Amino acid sequence: MNYALLLPFLLSVLLARPLHALSQAEAEGMFIVAEEAYAQGDHAKALSLFDSVATVYSSASLYYNLGNCHFKLGDVPRAILNYERALRLEPGAEDVQANLDLARLQVVDRINELPGFALGATWGKLRGGNDVDQWARRAIWGSFIFFLFVALGLFMPQRWLRNTALGLAAAAFLTTVASTGFAAWRAAEVRDTSEAIILASKVDALSGPGTTGTVLFVLHRGTKVGVQKEQDGWYEVVLPNGSVGWMPATSLERI
Amino acid sequence: MMARLRHTALALLLLAALAPALSAQEITFTTSVDRTSIAAGEQFQLTLTAANIQGNISAPSLGGLTVLRGPSQSTRIVEMNGRMVSRTTYVWVLTAVSAGKYTIGSCTAKIGNAVIETDPITIDVSAPLTRPSSPQLAEGQRRNTDIFITLEMSRSKGYVGEQVVLSYMLYSRTSSVEPQWEMPKLEGFWAEDVTLSNSGWLDRYETVNGLRYHVAIIKRQLLFPQRSGKLRIPPYSAKCTLDRTFFNRGRVVDITSNAVEYTAIELPPGAPADFNGAVGDLQMTVKADRTNVKANEAIELTVRFNGRSNLKLLDGPSIDFPTDLEVYDPKVSDKINVSETGMSGQREFQYLVIPRYEGVYELEPITFSYFDTRSGTYRTLRSDPLTFDVAVGEGGPTPAAQRPGKSEVELVGTDIRYLRTGSGNLRPKGALLYGSLRWWAGMGAPALAFVLLLVWRRHRQREQADIVGMRRKRADKIAREHLKQAAQALKQNEREPFYAALSKAMHGYLANKLGLGVAEITEQRLRESLTNAPSGDTLAKEIMALIGTCDMARFAPVEDRPRQDLYDQAAELIGRTEQLTRA
Repeated sequence: MNYALLLPFLLSVLLARPLHALSQAEAEGMFIVAEEAYAQGDHAKALSLFDSVATVYSSASLYYNLGNCHFKLGDVPRAILNYERALRLEPGAEDVQANLDLARLQVVDRINELPGFALGATWGKLRGGNDVDQWARRAIWGSFIFFLFVALGLFMPQRWLRNTALGLAAAAFLTTVASTGFAAWRAAEVRDTSEAIILASKVDALSGPGTTGTVLFVLHRGTKVGVQKEQDGWYEVVLPNGSVGWMPATSLERI
Repeated sequence: MMARLRHTALALLLLAALAPALSAQEITFTTSVDRTSIAAGEQFQLTLTAANIQGNISAPSLGGLTVLRGPSQSTRIVEMNGRMVSRTTYVWVLTAVSAGKYTIGSCTAKIGNAVIETDPITIDVSAPLTRPSSPQLAEGQRRNTDIFITLEMSRSKGYVGEQVVLSYMLYSRTSSVEPQWEMPKLEGFWAEDVTLSNSGWLDRYETVNGLRYHVAIIKRQLLFPQRSGKLRIPPYSAKCTLDRTFFNRGRVVDITSNAVEYTAIELPPGAPADFNGAVGDLQMTVKADRTNVKANEAIELTVRFNGRSNLKLLDGPSIDFPTDLEVYDPKVSDKINVSETGMSGQREFQYLVIPRYEGVYELEPITFSYFDTRSGTYRTLRSDPLTFDVAVGEGGPTPAAQRPGKSEVELVGTDIRYLRTGSGNLRPKGALLYGSLRWWAGMGAPALAFVLLLVWRRHRQREQADIVGMRRKRADKIAREHLKQAAQALKQNEREPFYAALSKAMHGYLANKLGLGVAEITEQRLRESLTNAPSGDTLAKEIMALIGTCDMARFAPVEDRPRQDLYDQAAELIGRTEQLTRA
């Protein structure tokens, strides 16, 4: 037996292993135990369990429950962070939005925000709801249907059947293109790291990276900011009202 | 005491002498008592009635009984049998200090020469009754035979919060008293001073240890025990100057009262949730001045409590007003009467309620619980639910944007929503279908399948096209092979194989060349297949003729042409057909 042939196989197994340190079934089991702990008021235990699931997996429900644990333990900024993450995965989720609104009441900073485009629950469901892959899957189906009809359109004996099939193929093509666009948009949204939540109870925004800058404004925990640049462990943040300042990366976390 | 009686007798004689002279016809002269058996210390009345008596009346001997008051005399002129009669009554209030039999002696009156006597009366005096209201002298109580003070309570035990009356009493044998009070602090009680209707000396006398005292009330308080257990009310004291007159500096005595112990009973368990300590007997009325208003108009909601309780400490009920109703702190107005019978009256809570938005608001029934001391149970008062119908206010409906902003939302009683159950579509972190290998595979697979389909189809088409071509290509070759067999048969002079090979060569060639089945080879088909050439018709005729000759020679013993000739013609026909179809 040539053991050299086994080596790549073993290597691939070893490399693949850390990705699945926690199997899906194990994660589901931990989820149930965490729910029980939460119901009994042991929020710290529930938090640690949800946290270990979250090291490997993600879902809107997981982030929502993490947010609830943090909120119950009085850590409002992390609660907001996790609710925001849940909303990323499931836009328009009504329960997440409600809890986020409640948590935001405890945020000190009130920045004059321009009234944004209110995304209702219906629109949230349409653009993906709790299923991030919805548009990607639609694109695949669209592609399948397109080629199916093109094939039918080419090989049908009757002329009118050929025309109908080609018309449907055109519709499927448009659907595919649109779905791919939406999928790309959603993916960009989910992967977006341009927003962050302030975790430190108080942080000064300076005029430049490094402690020598002038203090421009002061932010408090739970405030949502945009992150533009990163340099030497400093983030350049931008507020909804347009103010820009630098703060240490440790004082905030990207959503 | 005897000296006093003698004075009385003298006064009686005098009075009798002054009485108007009337007819001596109707004479009444009796003594009576209101009861003949008493307990030591109790009072009874001795009444002497004399009508139409002229002359001396001697006072009765009282045989050891003590006079508390009297004699008080009253004279009335009454009409008796058509005559005017003077009737005089003398009343003594008597008491006995100790138990025993006492005899009230006869009274005598002289009328002219005659002497009238009344019957003696015997009084049974039993041992003294212990009366809680009578001043008990406790040990350590500093007192003086002329003056002492006491604390008296209307009850010795009751529930926490139940009102009890504490009286500060003064007993004195002299009416000239100038006291300087020293009042103790009460612990464990909430005290409310009673405004006395008759402070100072009361029209009341008490006999204590055989001495008669005039009673004064110094102070009276309503007490509300604030905790359970044995509560002690410490004694109070006074420095009194007695009998001071202009000429006399009087004397100073220090007196101290008794202490009183009160047992406050803990309220029983099982208090309703909204119980806030009210004890007594209460009624509640809830009233709104109006229920149909426009938005931003005020409603006055009145919650009134009537009854006997510590109303001054009464807290209002907690009312759950619907949100969007602006409610101000209630205005409290009291009509409370603090008297010797307790604290009673009413306390009113007036809430100013302003609905900010139109709609129908349901106010839940207001409940208020108190402890009923009479039955020893908790009672809950409950109002009827109220409905406020709020119409659109001046200036149209209130827009949602003007509703309370972030900072005004009350966090009290709100909580985040509960966990989601179920892990809900767990996916490895950051793994998205879009852009993944799977997605590209999914997108590419139909395209690939389509391309494969096209390729396969074209291949098949080509293959189908090739079969005809190959046949055509190979037709000449196969024919030559058959001809070769025919040539061999010709050489060996074999008749049957020669014709078979020649026929096969012709049939096979035509079938392959023209893409026809062997059975399809008719003159008609050949002519159709060869029409593009002008010589097609003759060629077809010649071919068919040759095939006919071959078949004839094969199956019948008829040979009208030499075999070599037939062979040459076949080769020549194939060559001509080849030329024709290639062109």
